[in-house]
Amino acid sequence: MITLNHYLIVSGILFALGFAGVIARRNIIIIYMCLEMMLSAANLTLVAFSRFNLVDGLPDYTAQALVFFTITVAAAEVAVGLAIIVALFRSKQSVDVEAVTKLQG
Amino acid sequence: MPDQETSSLPTLLLLLPLLTALVILLGNKVLKGASVALSVFSAAVCFIISFILLGTQDSSPILLPFLEVGKFRIAIDALIDQQSRGMMFIVTSIGLLVHLFSLGYMKEDEARVRFFGSLSLFMFSMTGIVLAGNLVMMFIFWELVGLSSYLLIGHWFEKPSAAEASKKAFLTNRIGDFGFMIGILMLFMANHGDVSFLGLKSSFAEGPLHEIAKSNTTFMMLAALGIFMGAVGKSAQFPLHVWLPDAMEGPTPVSALIHAATMVAAGVFMLVRCSFVIEASLSAATIIAWIGGLTALMAALMATQQNDIKRVLAYSTLSQLGYMVMAVGLLAIQVSGEHHEAGPGHPAMFHLYTHAFFKAMLFLGSGAIIYACHHEQDIWKMGGLMKHMPVTFATFAIGTAALMGVPGLSGFFSKEAILGLAFEVKNPSGSPLFWVGVGTAMLTAFYMTRMFVVTFFGKPRTENAHHAVEAPIIMIFPLAVLALLTLISPIGPVARLLQAMEPKHAENHPTVMIASIAALIVGVGAGIFLYRGKDKDPLNIKLFANKFYFDEIYAVIVQVCQDGLAWFVTGLERLFVDGLVARLPAFIATRLGSAARVLTGGQLQSYTFLLGAGVLIVIYLVIFVLPHLGH
Amino acid sequence: MSLLEIIILLPLIAALAIWLGAPARTTSVGVSVLNLIMVLGLLFQFKSASVGKSGFAFESARTVLENPSISFGVGADGVALIMALLTVLVAFAAVWQISDDKPGIYHIASQLIAGGALGAFLCTDVFFIYAFHELALIPTFLMIALHGHGDAENCRSVAWKTTIYLGAGSLVLLAGLAWVVLEFSGGGQLTFDLNALRAQAATSPLPADKQAQIFLVLLIGFGTLVSLFPFHSWAAPAYATAPTPVAMLHSGVLKKFGLYGLLRIAMPLLPQAIHVAWLQEALLFMLLGNVLVIGLVTINQKRLDDVLANSSVMHMGYIFLGLAAGTEIALRGAVMLMFAHGISIALLFALAGRLRSQIGTLELNKLGGLGAHAPAFTILFAFGAFASIGLPGLANFAGEVMIFVGSFTNFGSAQFTSLQWTVVLALWGVVMSAVYMLRAYRHIFHGTASAGLFMTDSSLSQRFPLVLLAAALLIVGCCPWLLLGLIKSDLVAGISAAAAH
Repeated sequence: MITLNHYLIVSGILFALGFAGVIARRNIIIIYMCLEMMLSAANLTLVAFSRFNLVDGLPDYTAQALVFFTITVAAAEVAVGLAIIVALFRSKQSVDVEAVTKLQG
Repeated sequence: MPDQETSSLPTLLLLLPLLTALVILLGNKVLKGASVALSVFSAAVCFIISFILLGTQDSSPILLPFLEVGKFRIAIDALIDQQSRGMMFIVTSIGLLVHLFSLGYMKEDEARVRFFGSLSLFMFSMTGIVLAGNLVMMFIFWELVGLSSYLLIGHWFEKPSAAEASKKAFLTNRIGDFGFMIGILMLFMANHGDVSFLGLKSSFAEGPLHEIAKSNTTFMMLAALGIFMGAVGKSAQFPLHVWLPDAMEGPTPVSALIHAATMVAAGVFMLVRCSFVIEASLSAATIIAWIGGLTALMAALMATQQNDIKRVLAYSTLSQLGYMVMAVGLLAIQVSGEHHEAGPGHPAMFHLYTHAFFKAMLFLGSGAIIYACHHEQDIWKMGGLMKHMPVTFATFAIGTAALMGVPGLSGFFSKEAILGLAFEVKNPSGSPLFWVGVGTAMLTAFYMTRMFVVTFFGKPRTENAHHAVEAPIIMIFPLAVLALLTLISPIGPVARLLQAMEPKHAENHPTVMIASIAALIVGVGAGIFLYRGKDKDPLNIKLFANKFYFDEIYAVIVQVCQDGLAWFVTGLERLFVDGLVARLPAFIATRLGSAARVLTGGQLQSYTFLLGAGVLIVIYLVIFVLPHLGH
Repeated sequence: MSLLEIIILLPLIAALAIWLGAPARTTSVGVSVLNLIMVLGLLFQFKSASVGKSGFAFESARTVLENPSISFGVGADGVALIMALLTVLVAFAAVWQISDDKPGIYHIASQLIAGGALGAFLCTDVFFIYAFHELALIPTFLMIALHGHGDAENCRSVAWKTTIYLGAGSLVLLAGLAWVVLEFSGGGQLTFDLNALRAQAATSPLPADKQAQIFLVLLIGFGTLVSLFPFHSWAAPAYATAPTPVAMLHSGVLKKFGLYGLLRIAMPLLPQAIHVAWLQEALLFMLLGNVLVIGLVTINQKRLDDVLANSSVMHMGYIFLGLAAGTEIALRGAVMLMFAHGISIALLFALAGRLRSQIGTLELNKLGGLGAHAPAFTILFAFGAFASIGLPGLANFAGEVMIFVGSFTNFGSAQFTSLQWTVVLALWGVVMSAVYMLRAYRHIFHGTASAGLFMTDSSLSQRFPLVLLAAALLIVGCCPWLLLGLIKSDLVAGISAAAAH
């Protein structure tokens, strides 16, 4: 039987994979995709909690509503993020994050 | 309370030359030649005042305020007694004559206004030393004569040798003053802040210093030696004697006034003023006597091989100053060691007084010769001057005879007094110092004969000497007056008036008389035998001609101990102080900075990683550490 | 508005006016003359002025904050007036000698330094004393960085070094002052008023050892500002690099602030501290570093500006000696020497500045023979040089001899304490200072000039302020009682009296 823990483990692995990608990869597009993966992991957790937190025999729909919010905001974020990546590519002629060191003190 | 009657004359005497010097400094553009006349005039007024002072009573008036803090006060005060009245007369009379002589000697010098201004400054400072009623005031003027001597030796400062000589004179004196100041401070502390000569004297008789002299001999010895160090510098005693011969780079009238008759004798004057300090410590007195004797003998040896007429006289001055210092030490030994009462007057002052006149005359005579020979100073390039310069010859002869101690002349009496003193002292130092004195007397007779014979007899050895003519009357007149003073100075009433010391015939010591006359005959005989009719020096003793290599040794010491040390310390300072205080913290800060810099490399990913790590740590702390903290 | 406030604010207003476009030289010189006249006026009034219980005359205060109590209080006693006189004299000479082709910032900086220094000397509130000093430091850093001598890189690095050193010193000082304020604020309310702090210190003094601890912090803070060994290494390069008016004002006036602060704040509040053996010995050790180590370093210098800069560091040792002795004579001697040294070093830096602008080099080996070409310049330099050697008749000697004599006041004793041994060693420094000064003098003025490397005297009007400085040295040197007589009841007497308890 599949319990809440199974969902949480999957979501944790998903998050860890995403985070590792964000840290380790150099290609900014891939980093971006990993970022999305981390978001999905969070969404999965929310849905899982909603499914197992039964109120009067029904799942907790507030959490599922939050997931929809997240997905919409993530869609908007994709638009902005890709625009930034394009702008970055125009100025650096590269999608390698090592080329971007503007934050250096 | 300062008595108007007694303080006005000394105040005028002190301030007149100072005002003259200031007026010349500020107004030389306007006054031009008049400033020279002003300087001579002020010297003349000073002479008249000191002549009037000879007839006044002993007094100790306060002339001007200087420092006053609470109970502590130092004023410009005067101590007018037999010693200062006599010294004042010597200083102002020779000062006036030198001013007059300079009118002729410096006639063509472009900077003669500066020369006369500096002379006035010197008269001011020397007056201060003679009048001084306390040690701090004496120190003040002590340094000021050093300054005027610096200015006058360096009068022709374009010449590198003159510039170096003036610097050397000032610095050597500074070393002496270092000790002098320590001595003053020690007496200041021991005598509860009173450094006036009268206060110190009574304190040594019965007071705090009397106690300390008995209980702490080391302290007293160091204080006395500190005071003596001042005299070592000023009176050019071994080992600080090196500046005086070099000081001959100055114009000859200056050499006569400052570096023969008055300023260099100030050391002796001061020692006699402070004789109570020296008498309080037998060991200090012994050291002083020996340093004097050593200087006298060494300088006489060096004088025998000099060829520059002024340098011969300079070494002779050194040697005679050594004599005086030896007398100071010997008398102190006699008084302290043998509980002997000091008689009236002081043999050192007596010798100072006779020496001042004849040595000033010799120097001015040499000035006249140098002037006549177109600034030639080498005695081997002179010769036969007797015919060309009869007056100079006559006065020079009197001076030479007096210096050698020909019986009947002033030098004979004063030298006898010192030799007699050495003979009387029953201390182990007495007898050897007596023979040192006799040996010096013999050498003196020898080198003076050498110089006299080579300069005045024989044939003229150069064109300059051949065409020499007698100096103008303005230069001859001071010579004649000084010759007269030399002749009358040993006469009883004159000597009593000026130095309270009657020429003591060493009748009770026939040995002294015989020894000194024998020394004279041997010295003169050897001189005539060796140098009559010679065109170059038959003797050649490198050690004496090169002044025992003192200059070379000191040059090495200065180079190693001062410049080398300075270089070394500068390096150390850069390395350690700057290194430890500035560079090391700077280095650590830089290292820490670059360590922190790794964390902020600008890589978004490393920031993210740190963020993640941070979150993990926080989660770990919240879950696993915090709940257990309470227990 | 009281006269003291006007004296403090006038230079600051002048600086603002010049920045806004007022004619630089006219404003600057005019204000300096005005200030000089006002300070001289105060000096003459001071004898008859009413002196409060605290020893200050011409007091007034404007409250800025109630709690903690901070007020813009001004007041002057003998010491403060002497320092104010020094400031206005040097400021006058410094702005006068700025040549017309220099930008206005020279005048602005000089006026800011002068105003800041006057504020620091004349305020009676710890907060403002500190703040005014910091105000005066900023233009110093800027002028060294922007208009220093030598190449730009060197200027920047010297400016950094000075800034960091003085900044660190000021920080330590701030900590010390905070400590003092916390210890001596009575009645549960923090106060920065010096008089209130002193009253509290008098009624409930701290134990001697605690006093010594606080004093040490203040000593390091103030000492860094005065280039006390071993916190001195900023000073020599800073003075050698700084533009002439800044070098004159900083070495002559502003540096004395540290000493003044010790005299004004540390010693009255902590009167026994300096007599605590370990502190006194530590100070003696450090000041010997100033005198002997820096003395030797000075001998090794090859350029006139380096010689002057190092000699200025060295002579601070003597003033610290006066403070370390702590007796009334020595403290007054220290005040006298602060004044004398300020005047003499400002005179020397002004002359060195002229030499640099006329000849273009200060290398001692290249110079020579100026004595024949520029006699007035030579005489002025001789005044400065011989004053700093400590020749009697010039002001420095009076200060030095009072310090030495004041250190030998354990009367009747025939033993030397560490203080007296220090004096003996420090006296050797007098010989060393003669060595390097006469060496420099010999190189510059004696001998003959090399081709192209000589100058002639400036006009009488250009010389005027320098003659004024030389005259001040001579007058104070010959009649030190003039300056001493000014001080009728001041903190110096108070310090030694408090320490005697």
